[in-house]
Amino acid sequence: MFKPLTLEIALTVGMFGIFLLDLFLDRHKKRVLGIFTLLLLIVILGISISKSVYGTAFSGTFVSDSFAVTLKQLFLIATGLAVLGSISHTEKLLIGREGEYYLLLLFSLLGMMITVSARELLLLFVGFELMSIPLYVLSGFDKGNPRSVEGALKIFLFGTVSSALLLLGIGIFFAATGTTAWHTTRALDELNDPLGTLALIILLAGFGFKIAAFPFQFWVPDTYEGAPTPFVAFLSVAPKVAGFGILFRFFFEALEPLASTWTLYAIWLAALTMIVGNLLALPQRNIKRLLAYSGIAHIGYMLLGLASGSKFGLEMSVFYFVAYLFSNMGAFLVAEAVHRATGSDDLDSYTRLYRRAPFLSLAMLVFLLSLGGIPFVIGFWAKLYIFLAAAEAGYIFIVLLGALLTVVALFYYLNVARKMYIDEGSGENSFISLPFDLSISIGICTLAVVLLGLYPKGIVWIAIKAISAFGQSNPIIH
Amino acid sequence: MNFYSILWVAFLVFSIGLFGVLSRRHLVGVIMGIELMFNAANLVLVAIGWAYGVLTGQIIALFAIAITVAEVAVGLALFLLIERVRKTVQADEVSLMKG
Repeated sequence: MFKPLTLEIALTVGMFGIFLLDLFLDRHKKRVLGIFTLLLLIVILGISISKSVYGTAFSGTFVSDSFAVTLKQLFLIATGLAVLGSISHTEKLLIGREGEYYLLLLFSLLGMMITVSARELLLLFVGFELMSIPLYVLSGFDKGNPRSVEGALKIFLFGTVSSALLLLGIGIFFAATGTTAWHTTRALDELNDPLGTLALIILLAGFGFKIAAFPFQFWVPDTYEGAPTPFVAFLSVAPKVAGFGILFRFFFEALEPLASTWTLYAIWLAALTMIVGNLLALPQRNIKRLLAYSGIAHIGYMLLGLASGSKFGLEMSVFYFVAYLFSNMGAFLVAEAVHRATGSDDLDSYTRLYRRAPFLSLAMLVFLLSLGGIPFVIGFWAKLYIFLAAAEAGYIFIVLLGALLTVVALFYYLNVARKMYIDEGSGENSFISLPFDLSISIGICTLAVVLLGLYPKGIVWIAIKAISAFGQSNPIIH
Repeated sequence: MNFYSILWVAFLVFSIGLFGVLSRRHLVGVIMGIELMFNAANLVLVAIGWAYGVLTGQIIALFAIAITVAEVAVGLALFLLIERVRKTVQADEVSLMKG
């Protein structure tokens, strides 16, 4: 009965282990905690490959299908890379608090894993909050830094308001349908009355915060600028993918009768998010804020997959998640490495970086090209496929807009590359030596971006397999 | 008393809460607005549960109350931290970062 919950149970047990270890470890030996966390994540990733984790539990309200398992694997990889990038950061800057840091990351991961498996709104809400609350704490983890605290305040205020919206949306969905579990009643004809549409709008707003779509993107740059950078790498990817996971499952399974309504909202949301993200990224002088706005733009591209309203669109969105995960996390980890060496997040600290750290600037170039969508790294295929899906759904204008904005995006991505390789700087020329953990995580991201770019078929295959969960299109039990 | 009249009351309370969040300068006032929003949502859930004669709504409301407490606890800790670091609890004075 508990087989579909294997991953969550393993994670919880491991978290208790880390908690106990944290209690008994000496203050200066807490480095072990990071390594233990990493091992735990690798073990769980190993378990997730096994066939036995598939199935449903709790009379169908918790489902572990290929979609949920694929997303959980992505969360595990993202958390693993963030933990690997955090080890020397926490050791240096958060002495004695490493245990809390890793546990909060894992709590958030647990929330994501629950929430993408939920087919019932209470479970979804509990998982969503379990994912969100640790993020508020972690954003303000750099306690003495006023920027970190301010960023935490912003994510907290936006987060709680959106949670209230989500709860109200759940209430109205319940009012419109008389149930909160959508596996029992899929063809919710009652949804066609105004209450159903209202529930849809309010829930879309609630989820919109988590994925940082257009009207809810204000917290993003400030929170990213203040929070510890390896955590930002996690925050910019995993909760976003989780938010999309919920959106996909809820909209495709529960709100299918209203598809014509929500594809309309999603296309507007996608267009506005793309425009706002790309245009506001242009004047940024701080690498973390630049990547924050570029991340918002990428959310817009991913929303195109939802807006196309077809299984093809969803598959291409899953492909985009993989591309975005490695490129964006990699870019943030490079930002962390540069910050560690120069003490600044300003774009000017990237001047002539290739002299000081040839491999680091090569890695950054690869990530920037991938985020910008230049051929033969993975980001190119991601953009191509998502535009293909949108064009197939008939949104030619939006595809043209997206292509135009991609050119705009190249301007600010290549601006960083120009600083690294071409600009003359008077500054330092000393060689930057990277911490071991950070160089491994950046190396993994670089390899993934390049190799998956040469062989995108593998990811396409995984994406098709993931979305096939929605294909046996009858999740109805009675 | 019917279904829709309860919904109207809940929307009213929710809007008052949202107005409080947007207009209050003191952070504790902001969090009171957030509490009102959550309570309005709970009101919807309980009322609809009662109208349909099922317990789902009441159960979700109970869970939601517990989660709200956790959220507010984090919020108050954050406000204390802001008071300590910035020496202010006025929302509009916490604005180091812009653009």
